[in-house]
Amino acid sequence: MHRFDLNKYFIICSLLFLAMPIMAQAQAVLQGKVVDSHGNAVSHATIWLADLKGEVADEQGVFSLAELPSEGKLKISAVGFETIWATWPSGKTTETFVLTSSTSDLETVVVTGNFEPQSARQSVYQVRTIGAEVIKNRAPSNIQEVLSTELGIRFSQDNALGSSNMELLGMSGQNVKILIDGIPMVGRQGTSNEININQIDINRIERVEIVEGPMSVVYGADALAGVINIITKSDASEKFDVKARVQEETVGNEYSPFDGKGTHIRSVTGSYRLKNWDFGASFSQNNFGGWKGEETGREYEWLPKDQNFLNLKAGWGNESLNLEYQLDFLDETVFSYGPEARLEMLDQEFITSRWMHRLSGRWDTNSKFGFTWQGAFTDYARESQTWVTNVRTGEHYQSQAPGANSTIDYTGFSWRMIGDWKIADKFKLQPGIDLNLEQGSGERIDENEGIQDYAIFLSGEWSPVSTIKIKPGLRKSWNSAYETPALIPSLNTKFALNENLDLRLAYANGFRAPSIRELYFNFFDASHSITGNPDLKAETSNSFNGSLDWKAQVNPTWKISTVLGAFYNDVKDRIAYGQDPSDIQVTTLFNVERYKTAGLTLNNSHSFKNLTANVGFSYIGRYNLLSEEQTIVPDMSWTPEVNTNLTYLILPWRTTATLFYKWTGALPGYETITDSEGNPSATEIMLDGYHWIDISFKKDFGKHLSVNAGARNILDVKQISSTSGGGDAHGGGTQRPVGYGRSYFLGLTYQLNK
Amino acid sequence: MQQYRFLTLTALMAGVTLFSSCSDDDPEPVVVPPTESGIIEVDGGGATYPNTAYIQFRTGTQTAVARESWDLAFATGSEFKVLINGTTGAMASATGETDINVVSSADMSAADSAALVLSFTNLEGILHVDDPSMPLSKPAIAAVNSTEASNEVYILSRGASGVEAKSLKKIRITRNGEGYTLQHADADAADFISVDVVKDNDHNFVYFSFENGIVDVEPAKDSWDISWTAGTSSTPYPAATTGILAYFFQDLVYQNIYGGVGAASVLEADIAYADFTEQDVNSLTFDSSDRLAIGSTWRNGGGPTSSPAVKDDIYYIIKDADENIYKVRFLSLTKDGERGKPSLEFELVSEDL
Repeated sequence: MHRFDLNKYFIICSLLFLAMPIMAQAQAVLQGKVVDSHGNAVSHATIWLADLKGEVADEQGVFSLAELPSEGKLKISAVGFETIWATWPSGKTTETFVLTSSTSDLETVVVTGNFEPQSARQSVYQVRTIGAEVIKNRAPSNIQEVLSTELGIRFSQDNALGSSNMELLGMSGQNVKILIDGIPMVGRQGTSNEININQIDINRIERVEIVEGPMSVVYGADALAGVINIITKSDASEKFDVKARVQEETVGNEYSPFDGKGTHIRSVTGSYRLKNWDFGASFSQNNFGGWKGEETGREYEWLPKDQNFLNLKAGWGNESLNLEYQLDFLDETVFSYGPEARLEMLDQEFITSRWMHRLSGRWDTNSKFGFTWQGAFTDYARESQTWVTNVRTGEHYQSQAPGANSTIDYTGFSWRMIGDWKIADKFKLQPGIDLNLEQGSGERIDENEGIQDYAIFLSGEWSPVSTIKIKPGLRKSWNSAYETPALIPSLNTKFALNENLDLRLAYANGFRAPSIRELYFNFFDASHSITGNPDLKAETSNSFNGSLDWKAQVNPTWKISTVLGAFYNDVKDRIAYGQDPSDIQVTTLFNVERYKTAGLTLNNSHSFKNLTANVGFSYIGRYNLLSEEQTIVPDMSWTPEVNTNLTYLILPWRTTATLFYKWTGALPGYETITDSEGNPSATEIMLDGYHWIDISFKKDFGKHLSVNAGARNILDVKQISSTSGGGDAHGGGTQRPVGYGRSYFLGLTYQLNK
Repeated sequence: MQQYRFLTLTALMAGVTLFSSCSDDDPEPVVVPPTESGIIEVDGGGATYPNTAYIQFRTGTQTAVARESWDLAFATGSEFKVLINGTTGAMASATGETDINVVSSADMSAADSAALVLSFTNLEGILHVDDPSMPLSKPAIAAVNSTEASNEVYILSRGASGVEAKSLKKIRITRNGEGYTLQHADADAADFISVDVVKDNDHNFVYFSFENGIVDVEPAKDSWDISWTAGTSSTPYPAATTGILAYFFQDLVYQNIYGGVGAASVLEADIAYADFTEQDVNSLTFDSSDRLAIGSTWRNGGGPTSSPAVKDDIYYIIKDADENIYKVRFLSLTKDGERGKPSLEFELVSEDL
């Protein structure tokens, strides 16, 4: 078992940075400054040069360029401001650029599904971004806290394993592709067969991009409901940067300082740039002390969890070539304490370790052709250990009983390469290849050859007139383990109806691959007879998406943005459990079910002086499978959600106050009941809705220090009830855990850079 | 508390040693006094709980027998009844035929086959198993009739709960004087084997295995008090055919009802285990008709956030065939973390006088 001592790592990191020679700054020939319309400096604006190399301005808005960009063109963007294209005036060595403010989502830069960072407004995809400012203001302790107040995202807590399952727009988490900087994550786990999104270091997350609807052409399997792309911090913009964060948080009413009860977050990050090189290192600890709730003995309602994260990276770049290697290590232990007993008490530990190596890069061969690649090798292992405490003798030892300890191992290799070929001003082609090799082994998984998936894809972007963009795409893949759909097509279009109004319409084919677990699972004991089905094929979907995006500036201080979206997904060959016809004792998986989702979303943002307000509404329908048998059951059951984000900058105090609110509406469904005569009938069941409020304050002290404080789950929600009569040994019963009650946090972030 | 028990145990072992050394010198048969207390690590065989373990408190001993070592249990005494092996989830269906050669599994419908599989989805399963509580009062195979022609052929599933499934058998049982005659064959076979079974009144049942003929399973009827086993149990379930669902449970405890053993339960909240004395016995009613009086009540089933565990608020009083009264409580479901190896402790409350 690995245990990390934060102090030790802090010392190692510190030595690492001290040991680096302090190098003279490269001589700048051009110096620019970015200011807002009042002439105040805009900190940390990004300067995109025409060759797509980026620079970032410092705290005072100052940036320097080693040479004049080609044709003198540069693009400047900053959070909260409209992006501008500017030309460096010839002959001048200093220049000031003025940005006009915007709401943060009016001009967001997105990368998901695009070849290069692109303004969200230009992208053919409707991309939802949770920006860096939002995350900073919120000071979350895990990514779930950030996502759970988003429209269309629901989490259900799996408190037996200390993890959670996600649902995006009515589709379960196994249909959502989780990417980290565009690289698919490996390690689907549990009965829900999904990536545990909380096994990502919250301190490394810069922003999150959510694309709704299938993106299987580019991202392949599992991008059926959508893609969540977690963009990590690049840090490389500063010469030298050290950041430390400490955050203490109560877990409901349980807390003890710095250790044990409560959530304790510690993180140190450093980065250093030397000519063409940049280096970074970060280490984080995130310890969750669990929550006892109603439990009085040794057990916990929410299991304690310790996480350690390490990230190391090195990058090299010049005008045409960029290369970056990153290593991410995760060590997570979830502690499940067994009940008090007269003789033997049994505790379990679930230990996850993940090594992820990433190599990404970009090469611009000339102004017409460039390509990017993202490769990753992941080694993911999840170990379950059983520990015995003998009450009478006081002995504590690891059980050696058969099945008491088990390990599941996944290794994954992925390599994606996308070219960008500008054939003409109005037409470009993006060919790509995508390799994904996955191996899974361990207890309850049959010997298998792994899954090898090779795919090529091609998309084109055609812009017949400047107001129209049409992006068709096709993907062809070959898979060693299951039958893949013949060809995956997609068509994304964007029409600028007028200066303020954009219309996007898209059709896409998506698919979800059967997982290693679904193919090769094998679990037979006296109470379980479950086997995978190696003959499964992929689930496929037809999806239609549309959105209308209206942005307007009412006056210099008031801006409005409204997005109205609609979607419809029709999934065929959904994989579901059923009885094996050759042996009805055995449960296995089949491509049998149908599933559909449909919905409307409406999002309205206002930016008025120091206030940003965002109100969203969604109405999502989920298909009732029972409607195929029971005429009284409607085709779809509908659920509303409302969310609101308010951000107010209290200028005299340099304090940002943020409020997040979400109402998750009741979720109806149908289940079969059988009367005393044995006749089945359908009955409506309902999972209660709930309201959730988080409030946070962020105040900057001087240049280096900022303090976050606030309260989460103000309404003290703990569980919601369901009228479902069903539920098995692994189900949640009629009460579903949602939260652990109102919690308070206080955090400090210290940043030093030059 | 802990130390006290340890001392009694040590004293007991010393006593046993002393006593046995005495008996070497003494040719006279000696009345062995009942064991006063002890801890028994039940030999259930492990996580797949392959064994049924028969426990006798008087001697502090247990006998472990593989659950799948037998197929049919022929009642002794005055009754002519035959039980199927509930500890493997066996099930039986009457065929309506009396000639074993005309019955074949080939004639069974899918529903007939499904009815012989013990599962949560088999809503009529309870009709095809021996009554889990009082097996002889409601056996799956009708009492063997003295009129030879009234005894039907049964299709027998030998059970697939926690054991390898085996192919179906067809059986027909008739009386043979004070004993039985069993005709049996594979369910698709054209001819059959005939076996005579003689009653042995020292035992509750005579056990028969299709592979090994008459086999030793249960100790003599006065030589065990309770048994721990996986086996067929039942639970109220409105959707089931009779409102009762038969299902397989891995931690059942039976008291020896046909050997005259009674059981009663006591809540810690009413009388603490340590405080229970002879005087408290009178307030109890001993159940010697429902063998599931202890059943599964000694442990919690576990749930989404908890694992199964021994209940610490209940213990049991056992009256053996000699009227010795023991208090018994379960300590653990595991041995070194391994399921199917529970532990219990017992203490003599009053001796038969």
